[in-house]
Amino acid sequence: MAQRQLEVLNAGLVPYAEALAWQRALAQDRIDGRLAHDVLLLLEHPAVVTLGRNAHAGHVLEPQGVEVFEIERGGDVTLHAPGQLVGYPIVDLTGHKPDLHWYLRTLEQALIDALGRLGIAAERNPGYTGVWTRGRKIASIGIHVKQWVTWHGFALNVTNDLTQFERIVPCGIPGVEMTSVERESGNGNWAAAIGAVICGFESVFGVKAVIRDEVLGRAAETLSRG
Amino acid sequence: MATNVYMEALSPTMEEGRVVKWHKKDGDPVKTGETLAEIETDKAVMDLVARADGVLRQVAAPEGQTIPVGSVVAVIAAPGEAAGETPTSAAQTKPSGSGKRDTGNVATAPAPVAVATPPAVAPADATRVKASPLARRMAKEAGVDLKLVTGSGPGGRVVKKDVERAPNQAAPAAAAAPAAPLSPVSRVPLPERTGTAYEDVPLTQIRKTIAKRLVTSLGPIPHFFLTTEVDMERAAEAREALNKQLGDQGEGKVSFNDLIIKATALALARHRACNAWFQEDHIRYWNEVHIGMAVAVEDGLITPVIRHADRKSLTEIGREARELADKARNRRLQPNEYTGATFSISNLGMFDIDQFTAVINPPEAGIIAIGSIVQKAVVVDGHLAPGRRMRITMSCDHRVIDGATGAAFLRTLKQMLENPLAMLL
Repeated sequence: MAQRQLEVLNAGLVPYAEALAWQRALAQDRIDGRLAHDVLLLLEHPAVVTLGRNAHAGHVLEPQGVEVFEIERGGDVTLHAPGQLVGYPIVDLTGHKPDLHWYLRTLEQALIDALGRLGIAAERNPGYTGVWTRGRKIASIGIHVKQWVTWHGFALNVTNDLTQFERIVPCGIPGVEMTSVERESGNGNWAAAIGAVICGFESVFGVKAVIRDEVLGRAAETLSRG
Repeated sequence: MATNVYMEALSPTMEEGRVVKWHKKDGDPVKTGETLAEIETDKAVMDLVARADGVLRQVAAPEGQTIPVGSVVAVIAAPGEAAGETPTSAAQTKPSGSGKRDTGNVATAPAPVAVATPPAVAPADATRVKASPLARRMAKEAGVDLKLVTGSGPGGRVVKKDVERAPNQAAPAAAAAPAAPLSPVSRVPLPERTGTAYEDVPLTQIRKTIAKRLVTSLGPIPHFFLTTEVDMERAAEAREALNKQLGDQGEGKVSFNDLIIKATALALARHRACNAWFQEDHIRYWNEVHIGMAVAVEDGLITPVIRHADRKSLTEIGREARELADKARNRRLQPNEYTGATFSISNLGMFDIDQFTAVINPPEAGIIAIGSIVQKAVVVDGHLAPGRRMRITMSCDHRVIDGATGAAFLRTLKQMLENPLAMLL
């Protein structure tokens, strides 16, 4: 049987609101059958704080200077900033397994696999969705699903400024310490992180990535030009 | 008749779900497929969608409340139907044995839309159709009414193959009741089920945006792709020898990427037909070769343009590529340093990607996608031997480059890389 295809779009730096509109529309297309395969949007956001459905206002400490969005994903508060690799898998779970717990654990496994490829031993922290390494959180996960089609996804810290997380109580876990690929491995190779995540998805979800390779990095330029 | 809305299971092991937000309130009109509420477990939120048209009534679960899977959280009443007429009171639990395993599905009473008369072989319980999630989804997509399908699975459960056979079954019923309005779920029938040769589905806004901004070129440009496999044995040897010499002189090393840039530039200089811009009413054939190098290097992604790459030495190309990479990493690339390429190269070889297709960067007429150098068994003089091979895939704009033109360029490039000494000529 042919391997299921996963179209990977590497979109560069995209404002949060625009990416949110993309993924909502892509998910609706997937639900309605206009989009015939799963998609993984990979991108970065300018600094932004987002509140999931389980968020407490008290977990946003310093919203000054950044946009704040209240959105439909699961989870508490999180922060995105350039240097953090954000992934939005638009996946029809009926083609895999219609089970959100399976999906959350598999998403974690794909990131653990990716981090392994970057030389970082990562793991789960039972009861705390996300990916952890040596007691610190390196990737956050929050998803939404409608008629078994997913959107939202994960945020993997690669080279982003970790002091930005002081603006919030990440994921609503007091005292949680955040870390990044660069901090753990001493190497914040952005392209390697993207490659590792794609490989992680391929091996864990059993899909074949079809990379729509915009001339890499020029996407951001195209976007800023409109 | 009314339709119950049940708490759905987000996973087979889930016992209860928490309502985090209602999108509709008591008395709101709702349509099939519309989100009624959101339920949450762990870090996942799922939309609870309406399975019938009507008016939302008897919202039994306030936001924040946790409800057992299979419990009724609301009722969708037919328009105009008084709440009291609904057969089921809220918070009543669905009959046991039908709830938890039917993940994502809700037993529906007959929807408040007219349906074709059920055939004689209707399931025993006409108000409840047992079906697998896949069958349910297929039926929905194909516009097949599950109540008209005879299930062949355990206990009369409708499974995939029943739905596949369903059009034959449903057709006579539809013919018998030609005035029956279409079910609202039949809005996007699969092309192969409509009987027509094709179906035009309009582009949604998001597909347009992506076409325009992410893959600008795939829409308007008639792409075609050519792949060739290059023997990299000699290129590797040449690189080793060069680096040994350069190392002795204290110079920076030459990478495979530098070799590929140089070889591509030289091949383009010989195949001007591929070194061109499509400019709507004319084609600009460049006499200069400027290579846009979209490649992952350590610590970042760079897209610099190596100008006059055909006239530069390997060490110059290597030095320039490194300098521009530095700038890109610090986001200090000036526009003139990443615009004006006449042809581009994209390299994902370092990610274990064997082969891929890159998207043309307009107005350029071509781009090559470089895969990994792979050790594999190759036949040399009739014997199997270890070899190093690399796959190059060229994307061509057919308005500028024809198949044979692209192939001729690719052959020159392959020859250059397989006989690196030719680069010195």
